[in-house]
Amino acid sequence: MIKIDHLKKVYPNVTPLKDVCVEIHDGDVISMIGPSGTGKSTLLRCINQMEMPTSGKVWIDDVEITDPNCDINKVRQKMGMVFQSFNLFSHMTVIENIMFSPMTLLGKKKQAAYDDAMRLLRMVGLAEKALNYPDELSGGQKQRIAIARTLAMDPDIILLDEPTSALDPTMVGEVQAVIRDLAKTGKTMMIVTHEMNFARAISNRIFYMDEGGVYEDGPPEQIFDNPLREKTRRFIRRLKVLELDIENRDYDFLSMPGEIEQYCNRNQIPPRMTHRIQLAFEELTQQLLIPVLEKPRIHTVIEYAASEEKATMTVQYGGPEADFTKTGDELPLAVLKSAVSEMTYSRRENADLPNQILLSIRE
Amino acid sequence: MRKSFALALMLLLTLALCPTALADNSMGGVYQSLSDLNGKRIGIQVGTDYELIVWDLLPDAECIFYNSYPDLAAALETDKIDGFPGDEPVLKFMAAEDDRLVVLPEDMNPVKMAYVLPKSAKGDRLREELNAWIRSATASGELDEIAYKWIEGPESEKNVPDYANFPAPNGTLRMLTEGAYTPMNYYRGTELIGFEVDMTARFCEACGYGLIVDAMNFDGIIPAVQAGKADFAAASFVIAPEREEMVNFSDPYLVCGTLMTVLKADASVSDGASFWKSVENSFERTFLRENRWQLFLQGIWNTLLITVLSMIFGTVLGFIVFMLCRNGNRLAIAVTGVVTWLIKGMPMVVLLMILYYLVFGSVAITGLAVSVIGFTLTFSAAVFGLLQMGVGAVDRGQYEAAYALGHSNRHTFFKIILPQALPHILPSYKSEVVSLIQATAIVGYIAVQDLTKMGDIVRSRTYEAFFPLIAITIIYFVLEALLGLLIRRIHVNINPKRRSRERILKGVKTDD
Repeated sequence: MIKIDHLKKVYPNVTPLKDVCVEIHDGDVISMIGPSGTGKSTLLRCINQMEMPTSGKVWIDDVEITDPNCDINKVRQKMGMVFQSFNLFSHMTVIENIMFSPMTLLGKKKQAAYDDAMRLLRMVGLAEKALNYPDELSGGQKQRIAIARTLAMDPDIILLDEPTSALDPTMVGEVQAVIRDLAKTGKTMMIVTHEMNFARAISNRIFYMDEGGVYEDGPPEQIFDNPLREKTRRFIRRLKVLELDIENRDYDFLSMPGEIEQYCNRNQIPPRMTHRIQLAFEELTQQLLIPVLEKPRIHTVIEYAASEEKATMTVQYGGPEADFTKTGDELPLAVLKSAVSEMTYSRRENADLPNQILLSIRE
Repeated sequence: MRKSFALALMLLLTLALCPTALADNSMGGVYQSLSDLNGKRIGIQVGTDYELIVWDLLPDAECIFYNSYPDLAAALETDKIDGFPGDEPVLKFMAAEDDRLVVLPEDMNPVKMAYVLPKSAKGDRLREELNAWIRSATASGELDEIAYKWIEGPESEKNVPDYANFPAPNGTLRMLTEGAYTPMNYYRGTELIGFEVDMTARFCEACGYGLIVDAMNFDGIIPAVQAGKADFAAASFVIAPEREEMVNFSDPYLVCGTLMTVLKADASVSDGASFWKSVENSFERTFLRENRWQLFLQGIWNTLLITVLSMIFGTVLGFIVFMLCRNGNRLAIAVTGVVTWLIKGMPMVVLLMILYYLVFGSVAITGLAVSVIGFTLTFSAAVFGLLQMGVGAVDRGQYEAAYALGHSNRHTFFKIILPQALPHILPSYKSEVVSLIQATAIVGYIAVQDLTKMGDIVRSRTYEAFFPLIAITIIYFVLEALLGLLIRRIHVNINPKRRSRERILKGVKTDD
């Protein structure tokens, strides 16, 4: 079991990890996903102390490995790591790369180390490359050797830091296959990855990393199908979000269409859809809501799901229950309906802005 | 700097092997009298005050400075200068040995030669004893007898007492001389002899002293006496007021004239037919006569000793310093930075002089040991730089992989990082060694007889401009090649990628 307690990591310019508290159970296969710069690799590297945490503690079973008196080399022998850039020892052959650490650190006999190394090489399908040097191998082969090297120490925990990110797309599959087999062996594993399908297939737990920590922690079904928290949902659906706020009647109504256009350009939203988003926003806020609302406070969220090329707009406003999709002016309502495919009104009594209209923009 | 020195020697080599290159000597300009030389180029040995005399007599002459008489003779023969002054007995010998030189008869300035002693109580005591002996030897005619023997007498009679084995009831004296100034002080075979050596040996014999004579570059002798590196010096020093500010002089032991040497009118240049003959002749004179090859052997031994010891100690020291700095010890890094900056910014000869005269000024230490220390320092600075470069070139990921597997810092460095850095370092290391062996050519300044100094000593006897230089160059090339070969072997042995399959899997039963 790994227990991480109030872990914090500060670099001179950024603080990737603010306060991480999490427990990892034996046999867990955890995929860590999230936008770049959210501390996924940093958390992984803090666990085996490749990075020294600024504060906080890490326990493995009952040993506090962040204790300065802890022999971290002994701990690392039971905690393998696979790197994005493979890092095979370039002056050794493949077989030596695998035999080196068991022989020097565990005192294994050469013959035993060799037999073990050959078994692992066969497992990753590279027995015939035993006497090649790393620079004679492809990226996928190198990464499979690196995994075999890690396994040669028979670790209890394996940390994989973006194991397929540096690979040619054609080689990702062979490495993923090896990791997939590995995940079935019951070893505790933590993988930083950008491959969502892969993460879903091998893990029993997903960490969505954001806001300086583990933002959402749950089984793959929860994270990928029904994320509980907003940022997870946006990340999973690859949502691009724009929020617009109107505080009073004197808002800068000329700048908002420009903001929408900028946002659409940035996210490569097709021009027809851009036009419809602008149209829907203008008709709903300027024509339907502002003229009739007593206190025009309007909060608008535009979301674009790049994976499905779908855009939605949520408009929330205050005041008593008022469904303008039914009672609004004829003309703007007709224009609005031409831009959207679906329009629903709901009332949430306890919210700050209780009235909500959800629009799906026509494709 | 040493590289350009080697290049110059290469140039000389081509020059010497091409007889026509010498044929366009300015044969017309042969000077009959001293006054003809006014407005011409006059060569002066560094450390003498001949330029004062030359400026006095030939106000329009241009003075060009050279390190030794063999250099002056070579410069004259290659038309770099038109004449050079020197002490009467020496120039007469030079002219007798080298038939392209002739000495003008006019005496420019009679001079008095005397011992040089440090300005100390010990020096003053020795001076009293020397003066007393010079007085009595002059009175008895012994001094004239010795002078006659060395300056005019036949070679067969020129012998010195066996001063190395004197009983020394009153202690042993250490004398410095140049060893390249026939007949005053010079080598015959490996034996250091000459008028001044003979005279001093007799003084020591009479006064119950043992005697050690060391030869070093002329312009280094007075600083060495000042620094107390020797008890006194006799190297045909002329009593001059400026020198008296630095050291004391004894009473003069020889009075002689100052003459001017110029090129002979019909100085013949070897033609193609006799070229090989002259090479053969030069070879005989340079190597075989008086067993001079022994001098070269001695020189090679000293050069190799300094090079190899400095290489070993420098490598060890550089490595130790690197290991101290590697883990970010700020004090070690700061000290290393300053020392490296000092050593690398200083000309080697200046560093050696500072070590010899200042740092170890009052310590009884041989020039050889100081040379080894000096070159160890520079070489370790080079090794340090090489290690920094080579180790810095190893990818950061190699450390991470080793640490992540549980290897210690030390283990990672020696087993993973260093084996990858060494193949990068060795080619540069080899060229550093070649530079080192070339750089040792300056140790003549601190009384070490290395290969170059031995060449100068032989040139001072034969007055051959080129042959000894070329011979030395060839020897340097051979030494460099040998050391290079050694390092290349190491390179092959440590390059892990050159190992055979059998070696990698030695002692393992494989399935196939």
